[in-house]
Amino acid sequence: MSTFSVNLSIPFPSGREAEIAYQVLRVDREPSRGSIAKSLTLDNNLLQISISGTEARKVRVALTSFFDSLILVTETIQLFGPPVPTYNYY
Amino acid sequence: MTIAIGFEGSANKLGVGIIRDQDVLSNVRHTYITPPGEGFLPRETAQHHRECILNVLQKALDEAKITLKDVDVICYTKGPGMGAPLTVTALIARTVAQIYNKPIVAVNHCIGHIEMGRLITGSVNPTVLYVSGGNTQVIAYSRQRYRIFGETIDIAVGNCLDRFARLLKLSNDPSPGYNIEQLAKKGTKLAPLPYVVKGMDVSFSGILSYIEEHLSGWLNSKEFTPEDLCFSLQETVFAMLIEITERAMAHVKSSEVLIVGGVGCNEKLQDMMKVMCEERNAVLHATDERFCIDNGVMIAVAGLLQYKTQGHTSWAETTCVQRYRTDDVHISWRE
Repeated sequence: MSTFSVNLSIPFPSGREAEIAYQVLRVDREPSRGSIAKSLTLDNNLLQISISGTEARKVRVALTSFFDSLILVTETIQLFGPPVPTYNYY
Repeated sequence: MTIAIGFEGSANKLGVGIIRDQDVLSNVRHTYITPPGEGFLPRETAQHHRECILNVLQKALDEAKITLKDVDVICYTKGPGMGAPLTVTALIARTVAQIYNKPIVAVNHCIGHIEMGRLITGSVNPTVLYVSGGNTQVIAYSRQRYRIFGETIDIAVGNCLDRFARLLKLSNDPSPGYNIEQLAKKGTKLAPLPYVVKGMDVSFSGILSYIEEHLSGWLNSKEFTPEDLCFSLQETVFAMLIEITERAMAHVKSSEVLIVGGVGCNEKLQDMMKVMCEERNAVLHATDERFCIDNGVMIAVAGLLQYKTQGHTSWAETTCVQRYRTDDVHISWRE
């Protein structure tokens, strides 16, 4: 069976903003029935996302839902930022 | 003094509430209202929450006359509820926690209703009837758990009312239950509906199917009017709820009842409960729609209690769950 995958590298104005997006988005797991593998990594001010699965439709849905969430995080940072440099409550 | 902010979005109500210790500073809510005959679905509800959350948050901060910097703890609904809408409020809670370096607390929605009901009404150790669109439970406290004495074995009472309103194509504005309550005041004839109490549990789906089956016949023959049916449905389902509440009270020898949840603001239900309470020399505690219906304050209230005894929720645990039972929560703040 072939695998469909999407890999994106999303730039942020600062490393801290990329880190916030990374920390906020990494918590929720993909629904298990989706048979989708999602991985998020942080590289300085770049948020890297890789989504793969065997059904193209499910990969697209996962990507759309990732962007819905990402946009909400960036809008929140724009409205309520700038963020403090560190988070102490992990 | 501790300031807590609560984010609630487990169903079609989106709420942000702010409290300072036991005082409510603001309580802002925006409801996703669907056209008559239609219910709310997870995807569209989540979309509504995404569009409104930042405005609702700003309004709650403005009314409380504070900024997020002044907040000490951020609370959000972990569950139970619809997955997609829950995720939106959790996401915002995590983001503002990161921006301002604040601790975060995950709250059980049902516990939110109970703790806020206790705070607002001043009731100490009530038997709780929790009735909403997603939940129907009779609850009493024992040894650091809210124990479920009876519950629905299928759909929630509010869901039964909502779906009945859809059959009659009643408006969902401000809520289907409110419109049923208003029509019921003009009803005069009691239609025979199934009365389904099984021990301490209740069931509503059969009542709904029975109505679905007979509705057009009743209305066409003019045997019953829509008003009569609203009246009959309320009489039947509320009588069932009061029966199991009374039995739970007798069991735990309680003399206080607290009604919480969206259906709890129905005045007919409150009146019927009051009659039962007076017969037993018990006291009824209820709240109005500001606090009965899902809101952010309830999450802030329960979250603050939890924060003071157990501290914050670890970051990896700040997820959402669709199923999260009331009796899963360790109530560390009560004796």
